[in-house]
Amino acid sequence: MKTKITNEPVRVLLIDDEAAFTRMVKLNLEATGKYAVRTINESPQAQSVANEFNPDIILLDVVMPEADGGDVAIQLRQHAKTKDTPIIFVSAMVSRRESGSGFYESGGEHFLAKPVTTERLDDSIQQVLAKGVSA
Amino acid sequence: MIREHLSQAEDGEYELQRINRLEDLVLIDFEHSCHAILLDMRIETKQVLDTIQLIGEVNGAVALICLCRNHTQLREHKEIIHLVDDYLLAEHLVPGELPTRISHAIRRRHKEEQLLSEQNLLKQLLQNIPDAIYFKDQQSRFLKVSQAMNQIYGFDNPDEILGKTDFDLFTKEHAQPAYDDEQEIIRTGKPIIGKLEKETLPDGGINWVSTTKIPLRNTHGDVIGTMGMSRFVTELKEAQDQLSRESRLLKTVIDYALAGIFVKDTEGRYLIVNKRHVDYLGANSIDEVIGKTLCDFFDQAEATRISQNDAQIMETGQGIEYMIDHRIRSDKGDLWLLTSKVPFYDKDGTCIGLVGISQDISAQKEVEFKLKSAIETLKDTQLQLIEAEKMRTVGRLAAGVAHEVKNPLAVVTLGMDFLKQQLADSKDLVEVLDDMQTAANKANDVIFELLDYSSPHEVSMVPMDIGHLIKHVIKFLRHNFKEAHVDLKVELAPDLPSISIDTQKMEQVFINLFLNAISVMPDGGEMIVTSHLERMQSAGSNVSSQMTEQFCIGDRMVVIEVKDTGHGLTEVDKEKVFDPFYSSKSTGDGTGLGLSVTRSIVDMHRGLITLENRKSTTGACARIILPTHSEYEN
Repeated sequence: MKTKITNEPVRVLLIDDEAAFTRMVKLNLEATGKYAVRTINESPQAQSVANEFNPDIILLDVVMPEADGGDVAIQLRQHAKTKDTPIIFVSAMVSRRESGSGFYESGGEHFLAKPVTTERLDDSIQQVLAKGVSA
Repeated sequence: MIREHLSQAEDGEYELQRINRLEDLVLIDFEHSCHAILLDMRIETKQVLDTIQLIGEVNGAVALICLCRNHTQLREHKEIIHLVDDYLLAEHLVPGELPTRISHAIRRRHKEEQLLSEQNLLKQLLQNIPDAIYFKDQQSRFLKVSQAMNQIYGFDNPDEILGKTDFDLFTKEHAQPAYDDEQEIIRTGKPIIGKLEKETLPDGGINWVSTTKIPLRNTHGDVIGTMGMSRFVTELKEAQDQLSRESRLLKTVIDYALAGIFVKDTEGRYLIVNKRHVDYLGANSIDEVIGKTLCDFFDQAEATRISQNDAQIMETGQGIEYMIDHRIRSDKGDLWLLTSKVPFYDKDGTCIGLVGISQDISAQKEVEFKLKSAIETLKDTQLQLIEAEKMRTVGRLAAGVAHEVKNPLAVVTLGMDFLKQQLADSKDLVEVLDDMQTAANKANDVIFELLDYSSPHEVSMVPMDIGHLIKHVIKFLRHNFKEAHVDLKVELAPDLPSISIDTQKMEQVFINLFLNAISVMPDGGEMIVTSHLERMQSAGSNVSSQMTEQFCIGDRMVVIEVKDTGHGLTEVDKEKVFDPFYSSKSTGDGTGLGLSVTRSIVDMHRGLITLENRKSTTGACARIILPTHSEYEN
């Protein structure tokens, strides 16, 4: 697990088939000045881009037309370069009970419910990274 | 000479009138002044006979005495002598003899006349009375019978029957007992009065007679036979028999009818009642019912109700064809009767009571109830099926909609975040963006509610501490409370028994309740969450009919209350708040499914949820009552 001790932006890899969504996340997160965001709209490219981009955290959509979030996550966790990179699943298929205020953990995985505000996105990423640091 | 003899009378005076010609007889007042006639036998025999006949026709009570000279003259008229009352021999008359002989002749004549008169009465009676009158000797042989009897038994010659017995007239079947009766009368002297006898004739005919037989005595009082009179009552007897047959038929119908039959007089007293109706009344025997009224079998209200109904029937003359009575019986099942009643009248048309028939339709009623219940169950099942189908449809739809709508919403939300950041200097634009954000959030809430409503209904129960779950949910929603400026006051009782719950679903209950509380306090407020243990009481302010249905007295229950400081519930809210798609929020603010889902989850836990206004202050209080673990296990 990497530790961020410098002021370098957190590298976020976002994989979602919805281009408008990836663009918005990138705009908002980067506007905070804390993040460098790379986006992918075709899930099969996930591994190669991750290998190249070397993200601190991955935001992964669940329902996608080609390889879905679950498949992509398995692939990433099997790869040496990405196996320890934390993943937050971003899904529209969750009920409020599951999502609560938007972010929740289940079975050791982290989930974020769409739609999500920049603030919550920011909070959630920080929470997950903080866990990684403390671990 | 005659005059001389009469003057010697010792017993009164004799007036003598002499006539020389028969024609002069008409001049004599036989009725009042002539008691005896002396016939001088010197006249011709023919003339004497004419005279006797004439006098007999005019007055039979006048004594006739022949006056002869001597024995020689007497012998000449010997055929006349036995037609008169006495004769005298003038040559042998001794002094005083004439008046004595006249006086004796008059007395004899009177007695004879009396006897004849009585004989005539008897003759008239026997000839004219339509009854059979008969005199029999000691061997029951007919001595004399009435003319009617001769005619009835077909004897043209009045003497033909004489000497015959009942055995000659009737079959032995009747003759023997009649003979025995007569011998008994002869033996004992005791009469038989008005005995109904059946006479069977040899030709097969039957006569019914009312017979009176008495002993026949001679002048010394010795029984020498019997006499009797039989009145023919065949028609009367047949009418009686007919009546009796009809009466028996009616009784059979009443006794064995498959219905309760009763007859009451105008005072409501039972005159006739059959066994079946006795059963319906709950009595033990017919005797127990006859003469009684409804008051003896029913309570005052029921008796009055039926009596009024009866009175109306008798007053108006309008019967009732169809009336259903329901009687609750403690020993047997409920009794349902279908009753018809009609007034009945005497021959003058005066109403003298009513007749009723009651049929036991309890079995049919039971079938009817079962059918109704089956239909209700079917309806419920159908509704449940429709509901389940609806849920599946909504579920599929919701899942699809969620994905398709949430993605664009995510773009919109983040787009607005970005714009707000870029346009932070322009207050108006930021406000517009905030409004747009709020609208997008509402759209998102609708999607959530649809997903909640359509989520699967299976439950997976585990025993757990409800307090722990509540705290978890509160933590979960901390952002929401903060954003809505809602202060929290949490007072959870420690050491509550664990209860069996589906954790995920119960979390949803509290999420819904808390979000609901937040939504009714748009300008902020306070939400109070408390929990405690209660024991089901038999009655009291906290006990409702719903609770008595759900819990038993003495059950231990965990009670959680969620109070807000919002505007409280309207009357309409109270009634409909748990109905699906009902929302007090303005259109667009919610689907109205939240509380409906909440209640269905509480139902799954065999619990109870109520929502009422708080008594001490404004706002509402949601109360969830859940059975404790042990009760659930049971």
